[in-house]
Amino acid sequence: MLTEEIIVSFDQVEKKYDKESVLKTITFELERGKFYTLLGPSGCGKSTILNLLAGFTSPTEGSIYLNGEDTKNTPPNKRKVNTVFQDYALFPHMNVFDNVAFGLKMKKLSKEDIKKKVSAVLKLVRLNGYDEREITGMSGGQKQRVAIARALVNEPDVLLLDEPLSALDLKLRTDMQYELRELQQRLGITFLFVTHDQEEALAMSDEIMVMNEGEIVQTGTPIDIYDEPINRYVADFIGESNIVKGRMIEDYVVSFAGKSFQCVDGGMNPDEKVDVVIRPEDLVLTEAEKGALQIRVETQLFRGVHYEIVGMDNDGNQWMVHSTKKTEPGRRVGLQFEPQDIHIMRINETEESFDERIENYSAPASFSVEEGDRLDG
Amino acid sequence: MIKNNKWASLYLVVVFILLYTPIAYLIFYSFNEAGTMNQFSGFTLEHYAALAEDTRLMIIALDTIRVALLSALLATTIGTLGAIGIYYSRRRETQNLLLGFNNILLVSPDVIIGASFLLLFTVVGFRLGFYSVLLSHIAFSIPIVVLMVLPRLEEMNENMITAAKDLGATNWQVLKEIILPNITPGILAGYFMAFTYSIDDFAVTFFVTGNGFATLSVEIYSRARQGVSLEINALSTVLFLVAFSLVAGYYFIQKQQRTRKLAHMDPTNHEKAVTP
Repeated sequence: MLTEEIIVSFDQVEKKYDKESVLKTITFELERGKFYTLLGPSGCGKSTILNLLAGFTSPTEGSIYLNGEDTKNTPPNKRKVNTVFQDYALFPHMNVFDNVAFGLKMKKLSKEDIKKKVSAVLKLVRLNGYDEREITGMSGGQKQRVAIARALVNEPDVLLLDEPLSALDLKLRTDMQYELRELQQRLGITFLFVTHDQEEALAMSDEIMVMNEGEIVQTGTPIDIYDEPINRYVADFIGESNIVKGRMIEDYVVSFAGKSFQCVDGGMNPDEKVDVVIRPEDLVLTEAEKGALQIRVETQLFRGVHYEIVGMDNDGNQWMVHSTKKTEPGRRVGLQFEPQDIHIMRINETEESFDERIENYSAPASFSVEEGDRLDG
Repeated sequence: MIKNNKWASLYLVVVFILLYTPIAYLIFYSFNEAGTMNQFSGFTLEHYAALAEDTRLMIIALDTIRVALLSALLATTIGTLGAIGIYYSRRRETQNLLLGFNNILLVSPDVIIGASFLLLFTVVGFRLGFYSVLLSHIAFSIPIVVLMVLPRLEEMNENMITAAKDLGATNWQVLKEIILPNITPGILAGYFMAFTYSIDDFAVTFFVTGNGFATLSVEIYSRARQGVSLEINALSTVLFLVAFSLVAGYYFIQKQQRTRKLAHMDPTNHEKAVTP
């Protein structure tokens, strides 16, 4: 069970539309049975990766391997890859059964086999008994399930999901996140999920690939990406964050906002300029004297779960705090935080050297559960 | 508001009276005992009896329907494929160009189309008769079909085609299983339109019928020129009723389809039914 089987690999893939590069020389591999998420703003090229893998477009440069085979001359209908579309793209002239059975009919399976497989998959997405329903009369959530069933019934090696939850309302979306995750773990099929919603990505994925302007900026588990963002872009995109300019004095000591602090990062040049990230929920409000930093509160917003407090320190840096305790605008308060709450980012660091440095310098405490154990099952 | 509505309905009534008076007049006199349309002297069905005995007219009527059915069928086939072709032409300019050529045929006067067909057939040496009429009817019906089918194609969700391919369908299967069923209403509408245009047509047919073959419109025209016979009124009445029943039939089919669709929408069909 320890074999980490590579199912998809992109080798130096580049895609251009009319000389404009939408994907810049991308290389990555996907292992069998994991939940991957491509995360990025619209227009960053994440959907292009799906289209390339499904075979709807072909790469300008480089090769894509599916199950170890070059897909160059494989048309979409011959690839063991299926897609769940953002608008579901169900066939309105067919009922639920015929929609789900479509792929099997194209493969010329026998009537009994089709019936058996379709009712099994409808049960899987909890739509048993809906066979005869017309698509036009269904709700968004139900259509979503039909779309998933229609793709899954073909037993694809990789299931591609192109922002499938974006058309649902918040409550339903959260429910579907759990359901999709659970479905993926039960079936052991590789999922490649595309979204611009960072919460969705954090909640569901084994591994997240953060994209920006046609490039993969950082790859890692949700915890890695949240706790150790590689640069300002990732830190900003994944969750709220306070990013201030700082200077690395020596390993494990950083200075920002006019003071020096203990931290858990190292491997930079002495006196190197860095970006310092502290998450708003890691900052604890205290009395002004007790805090490591002092800020003057400017605004306070009630967010339901917490108050969102924004203030300014003596150096003119802005700090956002998520706190369950409230304060008042205009008050001076202190901020407390632990050394491991401080994340240091070098400017313009590549992903490889970043990973290497993290490997060497991160305090053992910040290592979470080892990857890979999860594969069994 | 109410006043406004009143004026609107009055306007509608006037328009419909204007449109239907000549037809009502014609139908009314088809039952006239006196042989003319000057004065109504008494009710009779003798013009209809005469019509039923007129075998020449019956043959022409059958020929007209034969041409209409066949030309509509062929025009629908060609027009549908043409519409799909236009839809699939990648570049916007090519699409507009093709559509432009299509629309020119629609707006150009029938007389010109008829005359040019006559020229073509004589130059090529094609014998005028059933086939020349059929060919010209197919030709002028194709643009109509294209115009009825193309919007349906454009309304279609393009992702459906991608999805079908993704699910393993070949190009042929995509056409058969996805595209055609989705544009069927457009194809049917195109067929109906082509059928009525063919029955209606006078100008083009007038140019390309030879000796020994005529359609109803041409026949009515030539009879009307010879002098008014109320048999023509009777014939027109019958044609009007046929057209009317066709429209009514089409309306009822549509209405039935709509109610069936509504019946499928189950009021108990809520999210609750899915989530346990």
